[in-house]
Amino acid sequence: MKPGTLVRLALAGTRSDTVRVALTGLSAGLATLAYLAALTVIVIPTVEDGGGRVSPQYRHALIAEAGLRPGVVVVLVLLTVPVLALAGQCALLGAPSRDRRLSAIRLAGASPGQAIAIAATETGLASVLGTVVGLGAYFGGREFLHRPDADGRLPLPTDVVPPVWWIAAVCVGIPVVAMLFAVLQLRRVAVTPFGVVRRVRTRAPLPWPGALIVVGLIATATVVPLSRQLEGDPEESGALLLVVLLCGLGCATIGVVTGTGWISYRTGWLMHRFGRRPATLLAARRLMADPWSGSRTLAALLACLVFGGGAAGVRSSFATDFEAERLAAQRSDPSGVIIEPRDTDFYFGAFNLVNIAIGVGLVIAAGGLIVALAESIVSRRRAYAALVATGVPRSTLAKAVMWQSLVPAAAGIVVALAVGAALSQSLFGDEVEREGIVLEVPVPVDDLALLGAGAVAAVLAVVGVGLLFLRASTALEELRV
Amino acid sequence: MSYLSARGLVRSYGRTPALRGVNLDVEEGEIVAVTGPSGCGKSTLLHCLAGILRPDAGEVTYRGRRIDTLSEGARAALRRTEFGVLFQFGQLVAELTAAENVALPLLLAGTGRREARTAALSWLDRLGVADFADQRPGEMSGGQQQRCAVARALVTEPRVLFCDEPTGALDSLAGEQVLGHLVRLAREQRTTVVLVTHDVQVAAYGDREIMLRDGAADPTGLGTVAAQQ
Ligand SMILES: Nc1ncnc2c1ncn2[C@@H]1O[C@H](COP(=O)(O)OP(=O)(O)O)[C@@H](O)[C@H]1O
Ligand SMILES: [Mg+2]
Repeated sequence: MKPGTLVRLALAGTRSDTVRVALTGLSAGLATLAYLAALTVIVIPTVEDGGGRVSPQYRHALIAEAGLRPGVVVVLVLLTVPVLALAGQCALLGAPSRDRRLSAIRLAGASPGQAIAIAATETGLASVLGTVVGLGAYFGGREFLHRPDADGRLPLPTDVVPPVWWIAAVCVGIPVVAMLFAVLQLRRVAVTPFGVVRRVRTRAPLPWPGALIVVGLIATATVVPLSRQLEGDPEESGALLLVVLLCGLGCATIGVVTGTGWISYRTGWLMHRFGRRPATLLAARRLMADPWSGSRTLAALLACLVFGGGAAGVRSSFATDFEAERLAAQRSDPSGVIIEPRDTDFYFGAFNLVNIAIGVGLVIAAGGLIVALAESIVSRRRAYAALVATGVPRSTLAKAVMWQSLVPAAAGIVVALAVGAALSQSLFGDEVEREGIVLEVPVPVDDLALLGAGAVAAVLAVVGVGLLFLRASTALEELRV
Repeated sequence: MSYLSARGLVRSYGRTPALRGVNLDVEEGEIVAVTGPSGCGKSTLLHCLAGILRPDAGEVTYRGRRIDTLSEGARAALRRTEFGVLFQFGQLVAELTAAENVALPLLLAGTGRREARTAALSWLDRLGVADFADQRPGEMSGGQQQRCAVARALVTEPRVLFCDEPTGALDSLAGEQVLGHLVRLAREQRTTVVLVTHDVQVAAYGDREIMLRDGAADPTGLGTVAAQQ
């Protein structure tokens, strides 16, 4: 097949394909922007200033203080997780019409590999487009936001540019990763001339994700001791510690996400074994038939929660640290006069920013969930409509949909928050010490409960929307022949 | 009064009329084939008779009782207990095994799991697909799936079985097998069958044939029907 033909066939879609292409491009653009911003923060030069290492040309401490910048980088990189997950979910949008198109192309003589190549090319082209737009937005935004104040200080690091080859790596990497992701998604799909068959993995998941979580916790636990060891060269040790921290976070998050597959399967098995009601049977079988569906659809939500749980833990340990510092100061000066209290507002302001990022991530993740749930209902519409015709009450089907969505979600949410909180404990330890005053860092139960409640509310809202789709999908029109 | 009857059924979809006043009587234990060209309103008629759709005008009575005026819940209960429905394809739940699919209506009716499974296995056996009891629909051929669907439709021992092009998606040999089983079992159980088809060979399995043409029963057909405009 000539490249021209490949591109033409990849672009021969309908309106729902256009939506998918647009959303893929949009998320590629957003991801490009986020990665370029992260790289820019990484290349900010620092100067020694007494004890601290700072970049005095910036107005905000988050950027000016070298010690805080890894946090900014981590937040920027993590924000791309829900964006990319949404893109993955959107690959399902309009999939029936794409499937028909691919089948027709197969019927016309294309090989299975060529059909997959066409689908992957579509994703690749959309991502290239999005990346170019993201690149444009990055350079345009730099010009626009380069506004020094009266002292000549900048709001954002618009005075530095990452090396050209880093930028090139992002621009090439994002489309390539998107295409790999598309191929990976289509790996279980057999495009035959008579339709597209999705093969589901029927083997039961194994509990190895637990090991991944443990590895993640151990990695984060080594960060602080490692930083003491590497005291000598802060330039190098900073990068190394960041890598170790991101690896730990990554391992734990992947563990939580894949662990949801295992939990789904086991719960399905238990429900099948002990459930009595038809709704439980339907939900149980669905959970067992495709346990990874929970992992796939909940990935972004769970990643947000791991991070949110971690942030809550870090906040708690900072707050305890400030408290210990205050007590120590009070003790050394029994007159009770408070000697220049540290400006803690700044830190809590930063945490609030992180919380906003998590909130945005949760909303994006919920959007992805809606797409996934709607797709799973719509693709089963004939069977659902037939059940309703034979007298199965819609409420039974609605209950089955609720069970199959809420069970993995509830389990995943609890595990994600727990792992997040544990990550921060293993990073900073469970007590702080300031000049002889030792305080235990409390588990941030309130924050965790709030996050959990928010996530459950998001999932419930998604299920509510899904039930609307269920209503439309059980319309008996589906049975017309 | 007939066992199942329709009087002056009218039904349109938006401004497309599908039924324009159909009268029809079905006696107990009878196998009635409803035929006619594609788009003449056969499926719509079947859905009205089975209480899946409500007609715009006219009435449907089943054993002397009006059913078109019942609530959705009451009609669903009727479909669950007294009626069976069989469609062209795709009615089995993909994630459930054949036996679980067949047992589902019994479970919905409150039967215990073990008992429901035993009944399901015996029905699968009667349809010659017992070997597939623990397979999922995706692992069976179209004809085997459809026999499984017949088992699911009959497992509650319905009084009336409604079939809409039950062999429409099968080759003729598989279609004959499905229909052979279906008719034999219906006679054994004295189940009344309304069989909708556009295929004259399928219609030949019925005791009697009713022709629909443009939303009204055709008076030239063999059925005891009176067409109205
Ligand atoms: N949901 C619908 N919306 C609009 N028109 C419909 C719908 N269902 C059926 N029709 C129309 O009603 C007529 C009868 O349809 P149907 O009962 O399915 O016929 P048959 O089963 O005999 O092929 C057809 O002209 C069809 O186009
Ligand atoms: Mg029809």
